[in-house]
Formats: sequence, C-alpha cells, structure tokens
Amino acid sequence: MSGWTFRRDGIGTFRFVSATYDAATGQARLEYAFDDGPSMVETIRFPGAPAPAHPQAVEKALQLLHLIAGVSYFKAAVPARIVVETAVPDAATAALLDAVYVEGLAEFAWRNGLDLRGRIAFPRTVAEDAGTTAPALALPRRSLVAIGGGKDSLVSVEMLRALGEDMTLTWVGESPLIAAVAAHTGLPTLNIGRALSPVLFELNRQGAWNGHIPVTAINSAILLLAALLYGFDSVVFSNEQSASAATLEAEGRVVNHQWSKGFAFERALASLVHARIAADLDYFSLLRPLSELAVTREFARHSQYHQHFSSCNRNFRILGAKPRERWCGACPKCHFVFLALAPFMAKPALVAIFGRNLLDDPELAGDFDALIEWQAHKPFECVGEAAESRAALAALAGRAEWKEDALVRRFAAEILPQLPPGSLDMAPLLRPGTDHALPSRYQGLFDAIQRA
Amino acid sequence: MNASSNPALPPDAPWIVLKFGGSSVARVARWGSIAELARQRHAAGHRVLVVVSALSGVTDALKAIGESADVGERRRLAEALAQRHIDFAAELGVDPALLAPWLAHLSELAASGGGSRCQGLYAWQAELLAMGELMSSTLGNAALRQAGLNSRWLDARDCLQAQPQPNQNEWARWLSASVPAQRDDELRERLAGRNADIFITQGFVARTADGCTAVLGRGGSDTSAAYFGAKLAAARVEIWSDVAGLFSANPREVPGARLLRRLDFQEAQEIATTGAKMLHPRCLSPLRRSGVPLWIRDTGNPDLAGTEIGPEAPDAAPSIKAVSTRRGITLVSMETIGMWQQVGFLADVFEVFRKHGLSVDLIGSAETNVTVSLDPSENLLGSDVLAALCEELAQFCRVRAITPCTAVTLVGRGMRGMLHRLRDVLADMGSLSVHLISQSSNDLNLTFVLDEADAEGLLPRLHADLIAACALPAEEDEVFGPTWAQLYAGDRASRPQPWWRARVEALRDIAAARGTPAYVYDLGTVRERARALRGIGAVSRWHYAIKANPHPAILRALETEGFDFECVSPGEVDAVREALPGLDPQRILFTPTMAGDDEFADALAQGLRVTFDCVEAVRALADGRHGGRSIAVRLDIGPGRGQHAHVRTGHDSKFGLPLADLPAFVEAAQAAGLVIDTLHAHLGSGVFDAGHWREVGLQLASLAERLPTVTTLNPGGGLGVPYLPGEPALDLGALGAGLDELRAAYPRLTLAMEPGRYLVAEAGVLLARVSRIKRKGRHVYVGCDAGMHTLLRPALYEAWHPVVNLDRPDAPRTMRADVVGPVCESADNLALDRRLPADTAVGDVLLVDIAGAYGAVMASDYNRRGRPLEIVLDGGAA
Repeated sequence: MSGWTFRRDGIGTFRFVSATYDAATGQARLEYAFDDGPSMVETIRFPGAPAPAHPQAVEKALQLLHLIAGVSYFKAAVPARIVVETAVPDAATAALLDAVYVEGLAEFAWRNGLDLRGRIAFPRTVAEDAGTTAPALALPRRSLVAIGGGKDSLVSVEMLRALGEDMTLTWVGESPLIAAVAAHTGLPTLNIGRALSPVLFELNRQGAWNGHIPVTAINSAILLLAALLYGFDSVVFSNEQSASAATLEAEGRVVNHQWSKGFAFERALASLVHARIAADLDYFSLLRPLSELAVTREFARHSQYHQHFSSCNRNFRILGAKPRERWCGACPKCHFVFLALAPFMAKPALVAIFGRNLLDDPELAGDFDALIEWQAHKPFECVGEAAESRAALAALAGRAEWKEDALVRRFAAEILPQLPPGSLDMAPLLRPGTDHALPSRYQGLFDAIQRA
Repeated sequence: MNASSNPALPPDAPWIVLKFGGSSVARVARWGSIAELARQRHAAGHRVLVVVSALSGVTDALKAIGESADVGERRRLAEALAQRHIDFAAELGVDPALLAPWLAHLSELAASGGGSRCQGLYAWQAELLAMGELMSSTLGNAALRQAGLNSRWLDARDCLQAQPQPNQNEWARWLSASVPAQRDDELRERLAGRNADIFITQGFVARTADGCTAVLGRGGSDTSAAYFGAKLAAARVEIWSDVAGLFSANPREVPGARLLRRLDFQEAQEIATTGAKMLHPRCLSPLRRSGVPLWIRDTGNPDLAGTEIGPEAPDAAPSIKAVSTRRGITLVSMETIGMWQQVGFLADVFEVFRKHGLSVDLIGSAETNVTVSLDPSENLLGSDVLAALCEELAQFCRVRAITPCTAVTLVGRGMRGMLHRLRDVLADMGSLSVHLISQSSNDLNLTFVLDEADAEGLLPRLHADLIAACALPAEEDEVFGPTWAQLYAGDRASRPQPWWRARVEALRDIAAARGTPAYVYDLGTVRERARALRGIGAVSRWHYAIKANPHPAILRALETEGFDFECVSPGEVDAVREALPGLDPQRILFTPTMAGDDEFADALAQGLRVTFDCVEAVRALADGRHGGRSIAVRLDIGPGRGQHAHVRTGHDSKFGLPLADLPAFVEAAQAAGLVIDTLHAHLGSGVFDAGHWREVGLQLASLAERLPTVTTLNPGGGLGVPYLPGEPALDLGALGAGLDELRAAYPRLTLAMEPGRYLVAEAGVLLARVSRIKRKGRHVYVGCDAGMHTLLRPALYEAWHPVVNLDRPDAPRTMRADVVGPVCESADNLALDRRLPADTAVGDVLLVDIAGAYGAVMASDYNRRGRPLEIVLDGGAA
C-alpha cells in the first residue's frame, strides 16, 4: 500500500472494480477499491466445480455476489459515492442492494454513531427492466442446504431427510465445528472457500470503521452461485420467524441484528433470483414458519447431535472435547439456547451439553433480563423473541427440577407477577406460522408440528 | 517341555487363579506369556486356574445380536463372529474344528431369537453372551496345551451356581447374576481328582439353579476370578491387564500419579467405587470375606510388582492413598416444609427414589434438609425420571436439583485423623462452589461435591497438594510405587540429573569459602531451558517474567538467547535497563497490577509495551496523548489454575478484565486513540497440562475474531516445573503441537508467551548449613541458617523442595525430620517430614534444590537474620 494512506473520513468513493469466475480453478475473484487506493480482492473457491452449464445465469449470480459482498469493504470508510465499474444494476437489483447496505448495516451504523438512511444510492440503469421472469434452466431437483453447526440447520436436515430429499450440506469458510457436525449427519458436504482481502485487515489497523455486517446476505449470494455451478434447484437456509423481529427501535430507527436472516430479505432475494437469474432456482428458509422454541423442541429429540453442535457466537476454530470449547457460556446465544432447550430436555442431559447450569448463576441475571426484554433491550444477537424466552422461563418456573434455580426463582418471584397473565402460554408459540415462502413440495412438513 | 513332564502336585497343593482380559486373549503373542505365567506358578507348587474373558469386542457383538429383532441381521453378525474365531484359531495354529460345537450352537441361537430350553428373552440373551468366553477358553486351552502344558478345559457353569437375590429383578437374575462364594471343598476335591494341575475356564459365565446359563454383568470376568479364588481358597488371585495396578489418581489426568503397591480390601473397594475404572468393585467382596489376596499385574511388564490387595495391616498409619473424581453427578436437595422432626420424613423421601428406580450414592443430612447424589445413568439422562422424581418429592418438601456436579473423593484409612494435613485442600475447596461434603462412616473417604465447571484441572493440583502436605505420603515406598509417567511415559519422565550432581565438591567449597545461606545459579541450565522454549516455533515472542529471578546475569543471558522481558513494576523495568543499557523499550512488556494512572502514563512515555486490565486506566488516557500506540489487554477468561490458591489468577482474584467489560474497554481505547493489538490471559502457575496454552489461546482467539486490530495472543506463562520426585516434566513437544494447531487455525494471529519460573527454577539451589539438631519426643528438627527469610515458598505456599545433605549425598536416608530455619515463627520451615541421613550433623551443608525461582527475590531481613548471597556459575566458574 505504498504511496497511499487510508484516511477514513477523507475517502470519497467506493468502487466495484471487477468480478470474474475462472472455470478452470473454480475460483471467483471480486475486486473493490476506495478512490485510487489499492485494489481489495476477495476470492471464493468452489472446489471441484464443473464447467458452468448455464454461463449467463452464472454471470448474473456472480455480479449479484460481487455487489452484495462489497458491503464488507464499503463499511470500512462508508464514503458518500458508490461507483459500479462492472455492469450497472437494474432498478430492482439496485433496490435490493440499497436495502442490504442500509438495513444490513443498521446495527453497524447505530453502534458507530452513523446514520446511513438516505445516504446509500446504488447507481442503476435508466432502461426499463428486462422483464420479470428469467428463463428456467431445468436444474436438478436437489437441495443445497446451508449448515452452520448450530441447532437450526440440523433441524432442517432431519426434516428434509424425513421427506427423502436429495441434499448436500454446505458452508462457507473453514470451520472444524461445522465440518464435524456435518460429518455426523452422514450426508454429502460441500465446503466453499472464502478469503477476504488482506488489505481489509490493514485498513482495520489504520482506523477503519468496524462492526456487524449482513453475512447471511453474502452467504446466500455465494450459495446461489454454487447452486448454478453444481446443479441444485433449491438453496435452503434455516432462519426462523423471530429473525424478522427488530432488535431495537430508537429515535425512529429500526435496527435488526439479523436483518439478512429475516423474511423481508428472503422474499426480496428470492424474487430477484426468479426474475433475473433462473426461474427454477428457489431460495428460502425452511424454518421460516417456526419460532425458536418450536425449533429447539424439534432439536431436543435429535440427541445424536447434542454433544457436537454449538450455537455459541464465539467461533471456536479448533474443536475440543470440553463443553467450554464449544460454548463460552457468556454470550446471549449460549444463554438463549440453554433456556430454549430447557423445557424440552432432561435437565442432566442439558447441563451436560454446556458443562454448567446457566440458569443457576445469579451473575447472569442481567443477561437473561435482556433476553426477556425486562428493563433492557434484546441483545444484538440471533436469539428468539422476548415472548419465547418469557414463555420458556414461565414453563420452568412450574417445573420442580428447575424452579429452585437462582434465575428461575428470581423470575417467578419478581418478574412473573408483573407480566400480563395469558401472555406466557407456550402452545401458541409452538404452532407454525403462515408467513413463509416454502415451495409447494415442502408445505406438508409442518403438518406434524401443527398437530403436536 | 511336554505335557507329561509336569509332575502331579499333591491334592492339597494351594491354588492360584490367573485372570486375563479380552485384549490379552485376543493377541496371539500374549498366549505365550499366559502359558509361561501358568508354568512358573505350577513349577512353584501351585495348582493354576486360568480365567479368561471373550476376545475383545466379542461381548459387544453378541449383545448386538441379542438386541436385534431382525433374523437376517442376527445371522450376519453371528457369521462374522464365527469367522473371527476361526481366523484367530488359525493365527494361534490350533485346529478350528475344536470350535465346531460352539459355532453350531451360536448359529442356532442367532437363528432362533430365543425359544431354547430356557424360556424368555433374558435367558436367551444370557446364553448368547456366554458364547464369547466359551469360545475363547476353548481356543486358550488348545494354545496352552500346544505350549506344553497339561491343561484341562473347565466349564465354569459346573462350578459357579447363581443364586437369586432379594429385590433382584428378572433382568438382573439372568444378566447380572450373583454367585455365593464360600470355600467349596467339593470343587477342590473334584478338580484334584481330574489328573491335571492347570485348568482354564470362562469368566462372566454361571449357571442357574434350573440348569440354564446366566452371566454376571459388567466386570464379570474379574468377579468370576474372585468367586473361583474364594471357592478354591486360593493362595491368591492375579488379574492381568495392560496396567500394573491402581494408581493414586487417574493417570490420564495426573501423569505423576503413583502406583499403589499395597492396599487393604476396604481401601481398594473405596477406590474402585469412587472412580477407578481398572477394577470392578464387585470383585472385591468375595475375596475380602475369604481373605484371599488379589494382585494386579501388567501383562506387558510381568516382572513389575503391581498392586497387591489384602487384609488390613494392623499397624497401618492413617494416610490418603488416592484421589478420584466422578463427573456428571446430580444432587437432589430436599428441604422439609414445616415438618421439623416429623417421624418418617427420610422414609418417605427414599421411598420416592426407590419407586423411580434411582439409586442414591452420597447423603448429607441436617435437621431440615437431606441432600443426596445420583450418579449419571442412562435413565437419568435419557428420560424424564428426574422431572418425575422432583415433581413427586415437591409434594412434601422443597426440592432443588443441582447439576452438573463433580464428586472429588479422597480415599484412605483414618481420614478423620488427617484433617490437620488437609489445610491446603480445604483452602482450595473454599474458593470453589462446594455443595456437599460427605465423610464416609467407615472413615475411608472424604468426598466434596462441587460444580463441574470448578472441577476442571483440579485433580492434578489436589494430588500435588496432598503430597506436599504429607497427607499422601509418596515417600513411603512400601505403599507408593513409581509414577505412571515413569512406568509408561518413556523419555518424558526420565528427567536428567540436576546440574549440581556433577559439582558437589565445588558447591561444598563455595559454602566454605563464601558462607551460607547462599543461592547458586547455573547459567548453563538457564540457557538450556531458554533454547528448549525457543524451539517452540509457534511462539514468535518470548518475554521472561523477571519477577521469578531478576539477577542481572540471568537477564543478560536470556537477552542473548533472544528473550524479551515482562516487568510488573517500575522497579523491575529499572532492573532490566540497568542490566541491559540501551535495550529497545519495545522489548519490555509492562504488566502491572493495580497501578496508578501515573505509572501507566510513564510506561507509555518510556516507549514500553503496556498491558491494561481495567477500563478506568484507559479512560484516564482519553486526552489522546498516546494516540496511535498499541496496547495489550489482560482478560479474565475463567477459572485459574496452579498449585496453590495464592498463585492462581482467574475469577476471585484481582487480575484481569472481566469479559463483560471488554466492550467498554474497546470503546475507551478507541476514544483514547489506542490500538488493542494483543489479547492476554494468564491463568496461574505450575501448569503441567500441555494443552493448557492452546486452550487459553483458543479462548482468546475466539474473542479476537471480533476485534480486528488484534494481531497477537499471549496465553501467559505458568509452565510447570516438577518439584516432586517422579513427577514428569512438562511436555514441550505437546505444548508446541497444540500451539501449532492454534496458529494454523488463526493464521492472522501471532503468539507471545511469558514464562518465568520455567527458565530459572531448576538452575538455582540454596546452600544452608546445619546449625542445630533437636529432638522433641519422636520428632526430629534439623535447624539450619536458611529459613523462611531466605526461601519463603515452603512457609507461604507449602511448597515442596527436595533437600539433600551435601556432605553425605549417598548415605542411606533413614532419619525422618523437619528441616527448619532460625526465624521465630512456627511456619519457619524448608521441608517437613523428610528423610535425611541418620548421621546428619551440625556443620553439614544442606542443598535445597529447584530454588532458582521466587527464592532470593522473595528473601527478607526479617528477624535481622540478613539476606542470602547470590552466586552465579557460568561454565563452572563462580
């Protein structure tokens, strides 16, 4: 980076420089730059990908990926101007990108004291949109399922297995945890490689803005490209109902930590894919109709994964046998998953997963208060809605083996009496919702849950 | 030797029962040893009964057949088993046709899925399970005969008759049967009349009163050997396996655990019940009742005397023999509700446990509370039984289910007589969440039940504490044998001779010429340790924690070896700068504790690297005067580790930034323009678990993922130095491999470490002169001119240092004495209850070993006894 210094607040333009896919190496190369600074190149590696059978669709998916993945670099300086030096997006695509950069960076902005509303405007073609439906590509009927090492994707996997669905499990980047969990399913896997530009780390040292990015949007775009390369007609994620709920509303702003896991993004991306890339490539979240509690209830039954999965937000890149090496016990994800599993599992089995009883630790009172939004706002994490956490705690307050534990007792004595009666029933929370975009072949899946 | 050459023994010749497990009998080479062992015992005038398990893995395969509802699968599994035995017969070089009747029966059983003469699923399963031993013993008999022994195959079912027990359910009657085991003269006569002196039979297998086959359940082969030993009134039973016996702690966690050479039955029973997997507790009681000793031996090392278990020695002094842990314990605490002194409360409570099929282990009771422990069982983990139990108990008491817990048990005879020696153990426990303490009514165990998370890494520490406090008297070599590491860890355990062994003369001369007390440091040893650490490629920066020993010669030697420095005070910084003028200030890491704002500001102004561990100190720099500088943050990531509560530094200590404060810290650093480039955690000292630093590093790395300015992780120091004899050295190879793995997983991050003690402890000795020898009753005090003012560690931490009489280095050490100093404090000691030469005399020079760390630097002039000399040897010259 000789000759160029990164002055965060002096930067004027973020440039989308180039995006190429090399079929010989299976590598996508995404290039970005600030002003006339050094180019920042991200690479995505698709191991063993065959030569593209649908080059046009691949090109479109690559462009979309380039534009979405730029968010990691853009946020380092958040300049006023965005320049696309590759194909300029049409209006529909640009609208989605504006949303990804505003809503997806809402938490980042809020925490850094920025306000991106009205500041992001992707360039767009003035020509009329090229129709509303892309051609169908006769993609093979099989699913590319994103797996994250946590409970949600494993519930999806087992549901799809019960349907007899042909599937491959996939994840982006190195993760021994995910690899180990995926191996436990016994299903075929695909590990896509991703390397961020090293320049970004250098910028971080030089005072770049930092914070949360909509990583699910990026992974979704990577998986859509993968589906076209390897031949899948469905890209399946496992985001639930609660991902759509706002984490925080303040000063007229809505901030949702998991915006790119929410239903609005899912629908927008799915319809853009149908319109611009392939009419028969579906993108959806299988668990969209379910609450977190409904998911944990399902997961509790699959004890073969209990000693292997982790939903902890610390990314332990080396696996250890100790619970402490999979669950930090200190983050909201650990707290929520513990709480949400508790009503559905034998207590000794649950505490064996975490190596400790988080509900009996008085020091965690504040953390659990945040989960139930009791004199606190919901944490910036992918956790269930307050109603779910409240219902789970209320259920435990009625259970002899739990009710004397410090935080359950405290909830029962101090908080429960102040909550509106009738708001704590778990049953309505367990019933599948109707807001989802499941292709018809999966619709029957939730009948069993509906009846349960 | 041929079969007929075994001379017949007289009918009343004593018996020896030899038992071999599945992994022994499944190896062809082992049968040569088995035959040899039997031959030796026979030659010494014993009749021999060999009891064998099934080939390893066979019982599990038979169990799978017994649990399968699919006849095709059962046949397939049975055929695979048959083939395995035919192949093994071929390997042994014996005729596979010998197996024919068993294989036919196995195939019949697998096909029928029950319905044999003995009705019922369990009876069928038992008959199936017995096939493994019936086949292995048949092959074994052929192998023994082939080796020239006149051995006879014996059907265990003709000797062991199961007897139904009160409260025994149907399952247990067939699959976990019990056999009454008194001396059986009929059996002795029957076998004496069989024209052979060596027999081979099956473990695990027995017969019911109506002539059907039953099996003995888990650990069944050991139990069979015990039954036979009792019935034959054997001279002893020998259990042969892959390890020499029981150890003073689980060797997987404590490589310094001692082999237990001699135990009485009750102690052994207690050890087996509280965690040792080596021996099934069930096999001891038949032997205890009939007074037949049990020996445990290592098949791979037959000449090593293993553990010998026999009747209680009448003059045994109270001592702790072992410490064990059991995880996954659930405690149920029941508080009576207004039923104080109500008759029948306990009866009601236990009735509920019985009803739910839960067996209670430990009990603690008070007037209004009863707390019991439940071991982890499939039932407890896989069903709602705990919920149901608590629900029912809640009808008449207040219930609390405390889990997960770990039970830590000290085992030894006369526990109540040793409480004074448990000061440190109790202090250790005091800092943990202990829910229940149970002292067994037979005075053989003391159990602490605590939070499982607190028990991590506790066992090695406790074991060392118990030895240092002489509660586990490891120097008693009639009871305590070599360490596990010495027996099984190869090179790692064989520590080189200490450097001073070759310089005894020179040290005596130094003491004479320069006076005592004097510390003597060998720079060669410091360099050796430094190079060993620098060999760990994963670590790019080493800081010597100079508080261990700030002697300028040592600082200079380490600088030459490429070490940087870690200082905890401005004084230490000055010491480094005086010893090494012109040293780049960036090579000094300043990590003070509780320092004031000025100290931090000064350190930054001097250009040192600085570690912070509280938010306020960073907020004080908000004016940005050090903007752009990189800093480290020391985090409190969890429970500390180390040999003594005073030297552990996790929760409940003043060190480290709580994780909950990290976001505020990051914000404050940003506001001050400081860049956090290093995450640091130091969890105490004296750590021998080579995986520790990888684990700490991993915790730090997972935090660093959210802090993009971080480039370096510093998982601290605390590398253990073995003070106790036979204690294995820290495995630097394994330590390095763990860190390599960490580096590979987080290539963006580099590693730094900050050892202190490890570099200098073994390089230093303390020389003292005996000033007085005093006897009080049976107690001997050897007084010398060094004391707590010279070496504080024994008084402060109950630290254990080896002590040698340099004037009589090779004399037999037969006198037990306390080595004490001249300070008017009762804690003034250097070593308690040690063995010294009986002729130790006033004027002798004593050497206190491994005194190079935290020795001279902690010395004082208390009592105006003066400070010790410090003498540096470099290549032999003082």
